[in-house]
Amino acid sequence: MIVDLDFLDTNLPIFDGTVTLGSVIKFILILSFSTFFAKILSLYMRRSLKDKVSKDAGETIIKIVYYGILTIVFFSNLRLIGINPSGFLLAGGVAGIVLGFASQNIVGNLVSGFFLMVERPIKIGDQVQISDVAGYVIDIRIISTLIRTYDGLLVRIPNQQVFTTNITNIVEHPVRRFEHTIRIRYSDDANAAIWLIKDLIDKEPFALLNPSPSVFVSDLGDSSVNITVRIWAPVNEWFGIKTRILWDIKQTLEENAIEIPLPQRVVHIQTDSKKVPDKLEPVPEKEIESVLNYEERVLA
Amino acid sequence: MYGRYNPPFSVEQEGIAISVEKTGEQWIYRRTLGTENVEKIILGDEKCLIINPVEPLNTPKEITPNLLIEFEKHLLLSGGAKRKIFLTFPIEIGVFIADKEEKNLQLLDVLSLVKQKFTLYGEVSNGVICKHWKSQIYSISPSPNPLQEGIIELTLRNTSSDWASISKVVFSAYGMKLYYAGDVFMRARMDILNRNTAETGFDLQHLSGELKSSSLKDFKSRKEAFGVYSLQKLGFVPLKFYMGWGF
Repeated sequence: MIVDLDFLDTNLPIFDGTVTLGSVIKFILILSFSTFFAKILSLYMRRSLKDKVSKDAGETIIKIVYYGILTIVFFSNLRLIGINPSGFLLAGGVAGIVLGFASQNIVGNLVSGFFLMVERPIKIGDQVQISDVAGYVIDIRIISTLIRTYDGLLVRIPNQQVFTTNITNIVEHPVRRFEHTIRIRYSDDANAAIWLIKDLIDKEPFALLNPSPSVFVSDLGDSSVNITVRIWAPVNEWFGIKTRILWDIKQTLEENAIEIPLPQRVVHIQTDSKKVPDKLEPVPEKEIESVLNYEERVLA
Repeated sequence: MYGRYNPPFSVEQEGIAISVEKTGEQWIYRRTLGTENVEKIILGDEKCLIINPVEPLNTPKEITPNLLIEFEKHLLLSGGAKRKIFLTFPIEIGVFIADKEEKNLQLLDVLSLVKQKFTLYGEVSNGVICKHWKSQIYSISPSPNPLQEGIIELTLRNTSSDWASISKVVFSAYGMKLYYAGDVFMRARMDILNRNTAETGFDLQHLSGELKSSSLKDFKSRKEAFGVYSLQKLGFVPLKFYMGWGF
């Protein structure tokens, strides 16, 4: 059965002007089979690369292979539907401009996705903060990036937004520092408290030796002497140690009679009455007169 | 404590108590160390347990494959020189379950009697996390407690013409090969490339041949330990460590 392709846009680079229904079906079948094959290959690659390369690198390789297969198969079989691939590329340039204007956001996301994969400010599995969304990157697709928030919600962010906004990659560097401020009473020995905290840090495996931790009196507050504790920890362990060591410090200080004071204000009540006269002394008459005269002078 | 055990058994040393007992149709593995208790169920007969020293990078959590040994005193090595020193390294005790032929090994438990500490080697932005250990430098092999410390025979080779001041050495666990008998032993090397860089690695050949003539110990009697890292299916993992941030 022969179908006339006159209804097609004449701008399209028609290879021979005619196409059979069989070739169209063949084209669809080849594309379907290729998609199926690419998916199977992706699954196989995902399984075989699992223990050999990082998840991020593996996913990038799989995506390149998947889309590469589809692109090659698509262009190499365009002749089946009567389109000359070389002419298509030329026409594609004009069509691309038209499509670009028509779908600016999609193209913008696509290009941003490409640059995200090249520049790699984030990788799959990283903990990031993009705008006000914080969580784990679970996939970087060609149009969007998927984030699983710490609450377990899935947030899809268009790549254009990811690329143009501030990205904080929490796990890019191997170590991270955290800080606690410990308040002790003025009556407590700050040196003893510092020694106890340092000893506690020394016993904590994930409190790194280098960069070294620092413990020092940072402020003499209204109600307390403030000790600042700064500790570096492996980036994947910092939250655990941060929460654990704060309570350990509190308990250790209390065990050694060093307490965290409540906000307080010392009020001094003066009990001696030196300024209060013992008895009222009579005012001399001359003094009263002078006061009266003064009032008269003012009124005059 | 190191060796092969056929269940049921019970062994106790230096505060570590390990036992495997049969309860009904299943075996129960129990381990106690201080306040820490581990209990696991084993389904399967004709199995044996192997307790041997393993790479010191599994406890309290496996977060790095690198071990940094800091020297208690700086060591100066003249240009072009090659010298042999001995260091100590921390030991972790691995408990494996295996077939009677000691095949199909599976790690059951890892424990350690020594203090755990981590450090960063290199810069904050691109350094590497390492397990930290501080060691004296010995000219002859020391005799530490084999449940706590092992011995590294380290061959230092200064390939540059300048003096090298060495205060630390970093090893990758992927190349580690431990041998044990009355002590725990490793052979390693450190090639100093220039003022700031060095390369470290382990000698993988069996401890026979040239070492047989050594007067230090009867190396022939040492047994090769099963390692945790050697059980893992490795891809392209470098067995050497390149010390690019000084030594």
